[in-house]
Parts: sequence; C-alpha cells; structure tokens
Amino acid sequence: MQMLSEDDLDLKQMTDEELERAWDLWFDLAQSTNDADPPYAHGVFAGLGREEHSGTRGASSEPRL
Amino acid sequence: MRLTNVGDTTWLNGPGQGKGTVQIGVQHLGAEKRWLMTAGGRTDPLRVAAILRQDMPNVYFALTEEFNSEGLIALLASGQAVVFYRIALMSKDGDWVLRETAGACRRVRSVLADHGARYRPGAPLDPRWLAGGWSSHFEFFDEKKRRIRCDFVSRPPRIAPGDLDAMFAAARGDGRLRVVDPQRLIRLKQTQRAKDYPVIGELSRLLPPEIELRWTTDPDRIMELSSPLGQGSPRASVRAARDGLSREVVVMELAREIDRMQREDRDRMRRYEAAARPYLEEFRTRIREDAPLEEGHGVAVSVAERLLPPTLDEGGS
Repeated sequence: MQMLSEDDLDLKQMTDEELERAWDLWFDLAQSTNDADPPYAHGVFAGLGREEHSGTRGASSEPRL
Repeated sequence: MRLTNVGDTTWLNGPGQGKGTVQIGVQHLGAEKRWLMTAGGRTDPLRVAAILRQDMPNVYFALTEEFNSEGLIALLASGQAVVFYRIALMSKDGDWVLRETAGACRRVRSVLADHGARYRPGAPLDPRWLAGGWSSHFEFFDEKKRRIRCDFVSRPPRIAPGDLDAMFAAARGDGRLRVVDPQRLIRLKQTQRAKDYPVIGELSRLLPPEIELRWTTDPDRIMELSSPLGQGSPRASVRAARDGLSREVVVMELAREIDRMQREDRDRMRRYEAAARPYLEEFRTRIREDAPLEEGHGVAVSVAERLLPPTLDEGGS
C-alpha cells in the first residue's frame, strides 16, 4: 500500500544536494503557515494548545530583530 | 534563445546556469495553454525546483554538525531524521536526542546563543530535568527570517535508559551529521499524531523483513511477511494474518495497535503537562521573550528548582 505522495517517494531519487535544496524550498513555503502551527511539535509539551502555551504572551511568529 | 515546436508544445530553450538545459514550454490544449518546465532533463516540479535553487544547506543538518563539532553529543531525530532518510519533507522543526551531561547542555546552549536563539516555555536545558524525561525548547530566526525551532530531550520516549549508549553507537550519517537509526526512530514516532504512522510504515521498509514485521503499519506488508516470518509475534495483526483471517480483520487489529500507542503517548504527555503547569505559568511571567539565552537559562533554572519536579512518579520513558 502506497502511503506517501509521489513527491515524497521521489526524494529517494535525489542527490544529497537536490534533497537539501528541495527541503529548503519546502521550508520557505512552509513559513506561510507559522501562525497556524501548534506551539510544540516534539517533547513533553506537544499536547499543549496555543492558549496553554502562550498564557499572557502573544504568539511569536515574527522575527525579533 | 530559440523556439522549437514539438507536437503540441512550443519550447523555449535557454542556458541552464551550469545546471543543465532549462526549457520552458507552452502546451496548446485546444483553447487552453499549459506551462511546462524542465531542468536537467527532469519534469517533476520538486526536482526542477531543487535543480534550479541556489545551494543552501538544511539548517537543522547544519546545526547538528555544529553541536557535534567538539564530539558526538546530539543525534538528529523525528521529522528531520525522516528527511535524512528521504521518506518525506514533513518537519519545520528540529529535535535532537542529547547526551545527558552538563557539557553537552553547555555546548548546545552556546551554539544556539550564537544564532540568537531564545528560550521557549519548557524545561531548562540541564541534565537534572532532562534525566526526568523533560524537554527543552528554543527558537530563532535565520538570515532569511525563517523561524527555526529546536527541541531537545535526553530520555526519548519509548527508549529504555539502558539503550541510550547503544542508540548513539547505532546512529547513522557521516561525520558530524549523526541521525537516530531507523528502528529507534520508529519507536520515537509512535506518538499521538496520526501522521506519524504512514511514516513508520516507510521507515520499516529500511529494515530487514523479519524486523520490518515488528514495526510496520502497512497492512499489505503484514499480510505478505506474516506467514514466512511471523511465528511467535506478539502483534495481534500479525497473528491474524498468520491465521489466514481476512484483510479487514488485519486492518482492524492494526488500527487497535495504533490507537493503543496513541493513547499511551497522550497519557504520558498529560502527566508532564500537569506537573509543569505552575512552572510554565511562572516561566512566562519571569522570562522576557527577548531575553538572551543565558539570561533566560539562569531564570529558568531558578524557577525550575522551586516548581518543576526533576522526575515524575511514573517515570519519563
């Protein structure tokens, strides 16, 4: 049973350099969903929702310069 | 530049900027036009984009190399490890299994501080809390203003403490880029998230068939491998396949296995979340979001010493 998309499965055919560039492109595009991301993807707080994570803080999606 | 007609498509050939010929074409489909692009002889969009893109290392791969530049202390895990194994481009964050030493924690904090990282609410990056299964979380923005999130544990879930040395010894990758091996990565991916289970199916294919059968989430592979290799398996799905029951029964047993793993992971998280509540509340009020990393670390440790139990009664692993 094929569980992943053709684009995902095509990764195996790429050179190391192509894989890094493909991920970099994907990462650029994925920035557009930052505000919608759950606060944690890993670790023991991954079950916390946005409000539980932020408390009185706002979401920090913008670069701090 | 020249125009060439091939069938219903007009191609504009141009120089490939050292990466092979780039062709842009217009396919005439009746009244509609379809734009086509190839590079290096490839037409699939992701590959074309990859060929044309400027060299830019994966920031999480590069960070792993920085962490390990003075000795092996960090293994890249979870979603970025899945990228490393070419399974999927599925993770915007990086997480690492860290050696449980003060030196390893200092090294990681130093590298992150150099990148301008800040603490996110989470345990201090300190062996006292990492040893209890807690996780530490950081964030910075790279030169392209992209959000980089970095998460650390030293006691990854579902890995026995006595197996950690073997985990570091079994790491894959070259040089300083070291990655959790596929079999242990499968254990890490047995989370409450549904999206991790197709990935487990793909990771399992990297293993020899008799080991693949222990972990795979692909019902077809269970049906295929159970008869020759499934004797004595503790998995109900494998036993169902060996007993010649229908594919539907195998799928149902597999769904039950996955649901049990998701519930166990969720229960584990809830114990940590409950124990961390007073700590996280004070963390948010005491640590400025723009506090330099070492300043944030000092405050996090002082708050954790009062409010964050280093270990939970029921254990962290």
